[in-house]
Amino acid sequence: MELEQLKDQWAAAEDQDGVRLSWNVIPSSRLEASRLVVPPGVLYTPLKERAENTLVQYEPVTCKAPCRAVLNPHCQVDARAKLWICPFCLQRNQLPPHYKDIGPNAWPLELTLGYSTMEYKLARPAPAPPIFLFVVDTCQEDDSLQALRDSLIMSLSLIPQHALVGLVTYGTMTQVHELGYTECAKSYVFRGTKDYSAKQVQEMLGLLPSSLRPQAPMHPGQAPQQRMGPGSRFLLPVSQCEFQLTSALENLQKDPWPVANDKRPLRCTGVALSVAVGLLETSFQNAGGRIMLFSGGPATEGPGIVVGPELREAMRSHHDIDKDNIKYYKKAIKFYENLAKRTAHNGHIIDLFAGCLDQVGLLEMKSLANLTGGHMILTDSFTSSMFRQSFVKIFDKDADDNLLMGFNANFEVLTTKELKVTGLIGHATSLNKKSASVGETEIGVGNTCAWKICGVDPSTSVATYFEVAAQAGPQHQQAPQKALIQFLTYYQHSSGQFHLKVTTIARDLSGPTGDASIAHSFDQEAAAVLMARVAVFKAEVDDGPDVLRWVDRMLIRLCSRFADYRKDDATSFRLEKNFTLYPQFMFHLRRSQFLQVFNNSPDETAFYRHCLLREDTGNSLIMIQPTLDSYTFDEPAKPVLLDSTSIQPTTILLLDTFFHILIFHGETVAEWRKAGYQDQEGYENFKQLLEAPKEDARDLIADRFPLPRFIVCDAGGSQARFLLSKLNPSTTHTTGAWGAVPQNAQTIFTDDVSLQTFMEHLMKYATRWNISP
Amino acid sequence: MFLINWFWNILADLGLLNKHAKLLFLGLDNAGKTTLLHMLKNDRVAILPPTLHPTSEELAIGNCRFTTFDLGGHQQARRLWRNFFPEVSGIIFLVDAMDRERMPEAKAELDALLAMEDLSKVPFCVLGNKIDHPNACSEEELRQYLGLYQTTGKGKVPVEGIRPVEIFMCSVVMRQGYKEGFQWISQYV
Ligand SMILES: Nc1nc2c(ncn2[C@@H]2O[C@H](COP(=O)(O)OP(=O)(O)OP(=O)(O)O)[C@@H](O)[C@H]2O)c(=O)[nH]1
Ligand SMILES: [Mg+2]
Ligand SMILES: [Zn+2]
Repeated sequence: MELEQLKDQWAAAEDQDGVRLSWNVIPSSRLEASRLVVPPGVLYTPLKERAENTLVQYEPVTCKAPCRAVLNPHCQVDARAKLWICPFCLQRNQLPPHYKDIGPNAWPLELTLGYSTMEYKLARPAPAPPIFLFVVDTCQEDDSLQALRDSLIMSLSLIPQHALVGLVTYGTMTQVHELGYTECAKSYVFRGTKDYSAKQVQEMLGLLPSSLRPQAPMHPGQAPQQRMGPGSRFLLPVSQCEFQLTSALENLQKDPWPVANDKRPLRCTGVALSVAVGLLETSFQNAGGRIMLFSGGPATEGPGIVVGPELREAMRSHHDIDKDNIKYYKKAIKFYENLAKRTAHNGHIIDLFAGCLDQVGLLEMKSLANLTGGHMILTDSFTSSMFRQSFVKIFDKDADDNLLMGFNANFEVLTTKELKVTGLIGHATSLNKKSASVGETEIGVGNTCAWKICGVDPSTSVATYFEVAAQAGPQHQQAPQKALIQFLTYYQHSSGQFHLKVTTIARDLSGPTGDASIAHSFDQEAAAVLMARVAVFKAEVDDGPDVLRWVDRMLIRLCSRFADYRKDDATSFRLEKNFTLYPQFMFHLRRSQFLQVFNNSPDETAFYRHCLLREDTGNSLIMIQPTLDSYTFDEPAKPVLLDSTSIQPTTILLLDTFFHILIFHGETVAEWRKAGYQDQEGYENFKQLLEAPKEDARDLIADRFPLPRFIVCDAGGSQARFLLSKLNPSTTHTTGAWGAVPQNAQTIFTDDVSLQTFMEHLMKYATRWNISP
Repeated sequence: MFLINWFWNILADLGLLNKHAKLLFLGLDNAGKTTLLHMLKNDRVAILPPTLHPTSEELAIGNCRFTTFDLGGHQQARRLWRNFFPEVSGIIFLVDAMDRERMPEAKAELDALLAMEDLSKVPFCVLGNKIDHPNACSEEELRQYLGLYQTTGKGKVPVEGIRPVEIFMCSVVMRQGYKEGFQWISQYV
């Protein structure tokens, strides 16, 4: 098949099943698999929004325990004998009685080929309505606190009326607001310096252990007070506490403790979070909910402290971390990790919102979001539109007016015998479940076939990696064999019911050794993203240079395995069409803020990496290699190379890095714009030229989360560096005559190698490399 | 290794060995602070996006530490500068010598810093950067733009009771001029 056709096929699979695979043909032998370099992997978006709705209101037909695979189009069904054979464990199962009439004219949806992804709305109701617990830092500038207050009050109109809400505020101390007490404002105070155990939190809030777990399922409209136990003093339906909560928010004061000029405010972020976690733990274990932290600065006291209150003590830098000599770092990491694990175990989410010009300690706190499927949003201030609009977007709703967020998901992977799952990289926690599908090696979080994803929304994407099972070899069978993977996502839907999303994918197994179909099935985009996730996962533990070397080594090995060349002859090097872009992706990945930390704080690095580990193939690729479009007179906009030579005096460029959307005016365009031609008669086409990229930028911004930063700049201007730093530097200050600096708008001041040089080196090494199988 | 040796030499040359200095890199956005820091750290020219969060680098050689803080220069980020004043030993204030339009803005920021009580004893090294460019202004012009007609002197000048302030012209990308500035400030930290 031609590449274009294959690409269409892959795109169709992504639309239907939310999957992209690095290899769409699975090697049938271990030896062959070991020579792929890039492991077989699937980037999967469980709750991807699809054109066609495949929600059904009945229970799925499942295989016997312990397999529990769900009936799917790849199962062999004997309609007459009323049985089906599970392709995963090969057991025969009786079809349930109500399937007795199935036949060619009455074929259930889940057995129909186009329905490889199904969503079952189950009879099991959620234990409670969705919960939103705000944890608000009060050590903030007045304007920022005010803006945050406004956003929170506004969110009460976006959160469903029956959803439970609560408020914890913190500064020098932590306060839990008793919204159920209507006489006056009442709150429980926790000291900022003390490490409260779960039990102490429980006792202090009067949450007796007998109240564990709400008794009966909740339905919208039902009065929750009696049913919820003591936790309901703090977490109430919006419909009941809107007034209390609004006034509590309106009366929020900046933390009253005086802060000297040379000090940071005292902030007990750790205590606030552990109280919030404890509150949900006792009353709402396994009921979906999010703890939303709004942090205006670093924790400076108590457990989870990241920097001392003295300003002369600096926040830790990447350099300090490398040197491993930070006072609080390891303890803080451990504290938040433990909290994160507890939260994940309870089925809750923690979102981290930073509104600060400097770091707040996202580095230390990252596990809270990364292990629970929470959001991480880094902004300058809560006054910024980046915060306000991103925050609103979290509460987006579907056509049925349900929040676009799923809670407390169990995510499980089943494989047929040829494949084993080696791990997952994404925002999830291992459930430590062993099965026949678990592989021997580990990539990311492995040694399990199931993970908990406490927060899952339509863009949450997880990377799963596979190995070829040892015993499998090419088998003598008539029909071409297929390997199957089934993804099961069992989660609390925001409508109040549990859902089960089932995606079953089948891919051809390769024929005898050396089958060219494997190479043809390489999806370089998916592969780049899957490898980027591995690189980022490694970067969290390994030294930066080691990770870069690993990226290089894997690229060289891949090219030396799949390129066409004569040994030791770099000029003979050719890549097949479906590999040509891959080196370029790696070139940009190496230069990206995901792997380069200079000029980024540890918090920024944590934020960028968090975002990469949650997006699908398309968005991740934009992050790795931004897109660039060029606009000029009398021509439609067209994509151009992400290269310094794309800068031209009479063009406008539109750059999308996922995090930034930037419009760049070439020199001449900038001059004319300054001179105001666009407002003069006879220059309508110039005005149009200026408008066109703005419109496209608006479209890009509209459905992006978090809201990207929008920048308009001119050639030579300060903000142009956002663009210059992303371009392949094919024209630098050293490319002209030696000594003379031939400066123009295309000149990039850098000693970094260009893509061209990078490719030359790659070809040299790849043609020399001896890969041992 | 080549790079490491090079550091030894350059830092010895810059006169920073055997001292522990906390230096702040301040100045408007686009002045060249991060480019300079990258050069000092890696001996390479690099292009980086505008600095958002403050970052710090430390070069430890023998028993001597050299800590730098590179702060974003855009309007918003300037609010943060004062958080880094405690125990600062010197300020490297970069100015884009090419950007005449923004000279008044640079002057206003520099003036504000020079007027700060907390910094009244802290030496200031003003670096007029980008002199490789034909449009860059001269040292004389820069002195006028910034109102720094009188400075404390470029040589090894012992100063009693007054804060050392001096201007040096440089080109970070051509590796010129800033070395003199560092040598100068190192006598006072
Ligand atoms: N011609 C010339 N350009 C330079 C020189 N040094 C830096 N630049 C350029 O000027 C810009 C300065 O960028 P940065 O070093 O990032 O500026 P900064 O001061 O850190 O700015 P902020 O981080 O926004 O505060 C970059 O585009 C550099 O390539 C120089 O010596 N000569
Ligand atoms: Mg900078
Ligand atoms: Zn089975």
